[in-house]
Amino acid sequence: MYVELHSCSAFSFLEGASLPEDLVSEAARLELPAIALLDRDGVYGSPRFHMAAEKAGIRAHVGAEISVEGFGTQAGMPSWMPNKIPSRPVRLALLAKNRTGYQNICRLMTRYKLREKVKGTGTATLEEVAEHAKGLVCLTGGQEGILAAALAQGGSEEARRNIEKLLTIFGKRNVYVEVQRHFDPAEETRNQAAVCLAHRLHLPLLATNGVRYAHAQDREILDLFTCIRNRCQLETAGRLVERNDERHFRPAAEMTRLFSDLPEAITNTGELSARLRYTLADLGYEFPRYPVPSGETIDTFLRKRTEEGFRARYAAKRLDNLYERAERQVRRELALIAKLKLAGYFLIVWDIIRFCREEGILVQGRGSAANSAVCYSLGITAVDPVGMELLFERFLSEERGEWPDIDLDLPSGDQREKAIQYVYQRYGQLGAAMTANVITYRGRSAAREVGKVLGFDRETLDQLSSLVNTWGWRGATDTTEHQFHQAGLDLSHPRVQKYCELCERIQDLPRHLGQHSGGMVICQGQLDSVVPLEPATMPGRIVVQWDKEDCADMGIVKVDLLGLGMMAALEDCLELVPKHYGEPLDLAQLPADDPLVYETLRRADTVGMFQVESRAQMSSLPRNAPTKFYDLVVQVAIIRPGPIVGRMMHPYMRRRQRREPVVYAHPSLEPVLKRTLGVPLFQEQLLRMAMITASFTGGEAEDLRRAMGFKRSESRMREIEVKLRRGMDQNGIKGETQEEIITQITSFAQYGFPESHAASFALIAYASAYLKCHYLAAFTAALLNNQPMGFYSPATLVKDAQRHGLRVKPIDARYSEWRCTLDRDPDKPAPCLRIGFRYVRGLRQAAAEAVVRQRQVRPFAGIEDLVKRVPDLQKSELVTLSEIGALNGLGQKIHRRSALWQVERAARPAGPLLESIPEQADASPLQQMTDEERLVADFHGSGMTAGPHPMSYCRARLDLLKVQRACDLHGIQDGEHTRVAGCVIARQRPGTAKGFVFLSLEDETGIANVIVHPDLYEKHRLIINREKFLRIDGILQNQDRVVSIKASQVMPIAISAAETESHDFH
Amino acid sequence: MPFACLFVPDFSVQALVRLEPELRSKPIAVFEGVPPLRKVFGANAAAKTAGVEIGMTKTQAELCPGIVCRQRSLSQESTAHSALLDCAWTISPRVEGSGQEELPDTVVVDIAGCEKLFGSPEKIASDLRRVAAEVGFDANVAVAANAESAICAARGFPGITVIPAGDEAARIGVLPLSSLKIPMELLDTLARWGIHTCAEFAALPEIAVVERVGQKGRRWQLMTRGADARPLLPKEPPLEFEECMDLEFPVELLEPLMFVMNRLLDELCTRLRMHVLATNEIQLTLTLQGNGSRRKESLLHVRTLRLPVPARESKLLLKLLQVDLQNHPPNAPVIGVRIAAVPARPRTRQLGLFLPQSPEPELLEVTLARIRNTVGYDRVGSPLLLDTHRPDAFRQTHFVLPESTTRMANTQRRTTAALRMYRPPLPAVVELREKKPAAVICNGARRQILALSGPWRTKGEWWAETAWARDDWDVLMEALRPAYRLDASEPMEEGTALYRIYRDLRLRRWFVEGIYD
Repeated sequence: MYVELHSCSAFSFLEGASLPEDLVSEAARLELPAIALLDRDGVYGSPRFHMAAEKAGIRAHVGAEISVEGFGTQAGMPSWMPNKIPSRPVRLALLAKNRTGYQNICRLMTRYKLREKVKGTGTATLEEVAEHAKGLVCLTGGQEGILAAALAQGGSEEARRNIEKLLTIFGKRNVYVEVQRHFDPAEETRNQAAVCLAHRLHLPLLATNGVRYAHAQDREILDLFTCIRNRCQLETAGRLVERNDERHFRPAAEMTRLFSDLPEAITNTGELSARLRYTLADLGYEFPRYPVPSGETIDTFLRKRTEEGFRARYAAKRLDNLYERAERQVRRELALIAKLKLAGYFLIVWDIIRFCREEGILVQGRGSAANSAVCYSLGITAVDPVGMELLFERFLSEERGEWPDIDLDLPSGDQREKAIQYVYQRYGQLGAAMTANVITYRGRSAAREVGKVLGFDRETLDQLSSLVNTWGWRGATDTTEHQFHQAGLDLSHPRVQKYCELCERIQDLPRHLGQHSGGMVICQGQLDSVVPLEPATMPGRIVVQWDKEDCADMGIVKVDLLGLGMMAALEDCLELVPKHYGEPLDLAQLPADDPLVYETLRRADTVGMFQVESRAQMSSLPRNAPTKFYDLVVQVAIIRPGPIVGRMMHPYMRRRQRREPVVYAHPSLEPVLKRTLGVPLFQEQLLRMAMITASFTGGEAEDLRRAMGFKRSESRMREIEVKLRRGMDQNGIKGETQEEIITQITSFAQYGFPESHAASFALIAYASAYLKCHYLAAFTAALLNNQPMGFYSPATLVKDAQRHGLRVKPIDARYSEWRCTLDRDPDKPAPCLRIGFRYVRGLRQAAAEAVVRQRQVRPFAGIEDLVKRVPDLQKSELVTLSEIGALNGLGQKIHRRSALWQVERAARPAGPLLESIPEQADASPLQQMTDEERLVADFHGSGMTAGPHPMSYCRARLDLLKVQRACDLHGIQDGEHTRVAGCVIARQRPGTAKGFVFLSLEDETGIANVIVHPDLYEKHRLIINREKFLRIDGILQNQDRVVSIKASQVMPIAISAAETESHDFH
Repeated sequence: MPFACLFVPDFSVQALVRLEPELRSKPIAVFEGVPPLRKVFGANAAAKTAGVEIGMTKTQAELCPGIVCRQRSLSQESTAHSALLDCAWTISPRVEGSGQEELPDTVVVDIAGCEKLFGSPEKIASDLRRVAAEVGFDANVAVAANAESAICAARGFPGITVIPAGDEAARIGVLPLSSLKIPMELLDTLARWGIHTCAEFAALPEIAVVERVGQKGRRWQLMTRGADARPLLPKEPPLEFEECMDLEFPVELLEPLMFVMNRLLDELCTRLRMHVLATNEIQLTLTLQGNGSRRKESLLHVRTLRLPVPARESKLLLKLLQVDLQNHPPNAPVIGVRIAAVPARPRTRQLGLFLPQSPEPELLEVTLARIRNTVGYDRVGSPLLLDTHRPDAFRQTHFVLPESTTRMANTQRRTTAALRMYRPPLPAVVELREKKPAAVICNGARRQILALSGPWRTKGEWWAETAWARDDWDVLMEALRPAYRLDASEPMEEGTALYRIYRDLRLRRWFVEGIYD
């Protein structure tokens, strides 16, 4: 029997070339009973390795290669050979025998990782290794190991001394002398020395293949990674790249043949494997216990807190029936929580919420947590699950044995950071950490890095990167080959072919570890004994080595503290509205069902509103015609891949418009589907359908959802389908009805949106709509101050606000602050918006704040005064301020060009001799900017204009061309040939739209929606993707007050050279 | 009216077309870079009309109808620039070669006083244009009172432009600022000011301009006003010693040529000696008899010899030139000989009393030159190991005597076997047993393998056409035939010997690579 006990995956970050899953599948193919994964300084790939091995029926041993100091540097080439192999510390190959061993690996790595100053350079000291040696087996390693280094540096005596050090640290039974054979004479020389030493010291030999990739051909990827790591090209890499392609898995027979002279080296692999009893199934993770006052248990404490909240939430509603139902539900939930021992988890989340409330941080739970009445009572969520009849099993079920998932939405930026730091502080540096985010090679990064390594020039790489498809929809032409061809590369050239092939092959391989935006894991005791911790790039942050999927797979509970731009905007409004409108604002007490809000929603006048502003949302809003909050919940959920792919959207809309009768697949489903007119739209409904028609338990239903989920498995789906059919048969649901229900469930479950989640989002959507309708200036300022967020660029938000009557004032050195602010003119009833300095391209916040400070001391007497009093301002910043007209107010009759004229002189140091000579009073000889020049300067310098829309300057010419205005399109009959033109503000090619492209063209009156057929898109790909202004001819479609143009002709139109921005979505 | 400027638009294209006049009417794109990364560097008007843009890749440019693609040739551009200079020198000795911006497409001539010789400025301009046309250029020529105005006008206006004195500002004023080759930074500032033409820039108040963009701005402004009276920077010949002789009759044989060269070298060496200098580079330029064309570069036979140490012995230099010319004879009768010597400090080295005697560097160089002539230029020198896993990867570097010999200490000395390689390796047939070599059949002899080790596998350069893959084996077997001894003094390959054999995994063939000492 042979077991491969030394393999690395691509999670050795650029030192391995295959994913753990690929290693496992190849090992399974070769019928290896077990394998060990020893990634470099980490166990990054271990969860995936463990899960894949479990499925494949292979034992997954856990270990790592640890960089150590005290054994010199890795063996390189002899000094007389020309090479540029950098010296690196020796690595010890360690395998965990038991949980203590695994915990020691994690702690040891955490110890040296947390002190490393440059990522990936940390090393363990010998003392640290000795301290953490219990439960570990040490191999002497291959080329990177201690034996090779010692033999190269001091011959066999040095090697003996070093191995004796290992014996002292790990004990005699735990050191194996490793031999590898890759058909390299230098390696064979080492092997001979190793065999001698093993005999001399009576140590066991161990054959491994030092696997770095699953298949021989993956050596190319490893070479590529080596070059990326060493920042060199393949042509010049020399001996840095692999000598041959032998570091792949070999079957037992081949290894036995290869080591026929050392049979014990093969036998020992089996024996050692049997000694390694540890797998990740025994992780030993425990969620922290929440400290409760004496006399209380954790469950009674949770019950009390829930009851307090429950009374506040439900008693206020004064609905007896609801109160009773809610009480029953809370009791049921609390019993289950106690049974599953989850009370601590709820209290910890409650504690975070309490902290946020105390600090005045807006927070709202979402996701499936909103299905829980306990969460609602504790104030974690804002949606009443009992009132909305949400399904608790979607959140928590006894059968599933999983941690519940609670996501908290926080305002993005500093406020969220405050909450994160609170968690660190509360649970200690080694008790809480962020989950990692594995950055993988994708189209663009792959093209760039592979190109560099193959020696392609920067310009070609730039061009190629710009062509890589980022649309959701991948058409027949969206292949790597096509992109390469478009970039002007000759695909018949072998080098280009190789480039193309390698780009494809490295897709999805890990590149480096990032930090997840909000996922935090917390542990009872020391998190570093569960998973190694590392410092994140962001100061004060610590990350675990696993991403959130891995953490979930390993049963580690996480709390997502997500930053939501709209939450930050809402929080800003809480301050702006009372200050400038003199009215109090409480988001929890917003008037329900405000008629103006619903009227605006029905008109699809939703630019800037949360979740309902996208093009697709706009085109369905008039059809759905929301009149109450639940309609908004449906609206948020319906424009999702689930309802669209499952073909539920159109039946729902038809029923909503009463064009189709409301029918149910089976009468028993009426209570579940009544609210959505017989059409299943939410995950909960599918689960309930399964529960009703096939008598599934809550847990079984949730299993069904997971089986159909992202990582769907054919066999599991079949099993569940059989179970569904059996259940329906038993309940007498047969024939066509059964088929219809099965189709509904299977086609939809994977993409569905939980109703609870939709309800949480709908609350925010309603709040944003309410604020936009009633406090436009405050809302727009808040949106602009929290960019980037949402679907539209700041320029579009400003134009939309102006069309709604908001007066927008441009950036002005006399009045603007860093953020956008509200001004109120005494003669005007409504406040107006002043654009802030944050929109001046290239202006540093510190300089802008210096301007504001100086202005508060006394107003600026002129441009020269500004330059003198704010030396922080650099010339380029002054130039931009002049160009966008921000300095026009600093003197009499100053226009942008004259400001530029003055700035050029004032910002040029004249030297001490001439400094005191005042500016000659002569007026600027420069001409004022034309309208077009002003537009160009505005967009170049601030990305927007507070003045007229670029299209308005050309309206007379456009009228001659019979170009319709966006606002006039509603008056045109369906099917009429129409011509529109505008600035492209959004391009979309969603994955669900079969290659159709949706364009939004903005003019001074509004937004026109254009649909481009895939064939037409192919024909005019470059124009559609690149041109800033387009003229479109086509047939106008006006269906249910949803207006769009089906393009038949697309052409660029010369409107302005302004650098307008488009948000392109995938 | 003292300055004329010759400007060749699309210079990189014209530099090529002048040697291939049949291409003149076709759309031509000139590329630079190496395949597969060639990009358009220059294009003529026809090509631009056909859709070619600077910066396009070759594949993109080839999609334009009827396009002719040519690789950029720096040497042709350089010779074209020389030809342009020659054109200018036909009018006046005061010629500014590459302007201020090192522009090979522009040449300025001081024509002050030439009116009496060549006629009116218009006549001079048309003469210049005609002469340029004779060497294959379609050039713009402008005449103006100062050099910069002439340059601006030549770059901005097609054909011949003569600007009467005093009219510079008006004429140049209509040109866009881009024709002035103003630095990008200043151009951006001016664009922000709304200044796009020379006249607009010229109209700005001078002091204000200096206050804002400095003295450089003033200079550029003077240019736009046609008032920049900078002095011409006539082209100076590079510092080198040069002797030349025009022959009365074309010489076809080497011997009489050597006689002439000997005389020139004697003179050169004497002059070098007078300056206590030697030379480390000799350039021999033979002007060959042609058909009256002005294409100078095709009528010259140039040989350059670089010496490892500076020398000034005419005999030595003559010998080196002779050996070189024997290997690279001119392909036409010689009508002119030019020898240029790049000066260098002579070698000063005192020989140590106890240092081992090494060959005289000068003599060694002569010997190496002779060997090079026999075996090929790239086949002589010291081998230099390359940084690659490819076996036997080395390149030749110029052989020089080491300054001193350092002996390796005994402890550092490695006991490694030397492998004498057969070049080329000997094709062989190898019999296998259990996938291992059992016998080698090479050159008609079959040898049983007595012992072996291997395989030692190397595979590399998988990304290129030069990819290799091979398995090496070290085998002990009865010696192959003595015919493969490297030289007679070596011991015969008798009894058993240790060989390196290998299988080329791509060709699937076996070779005997060498024998271990």
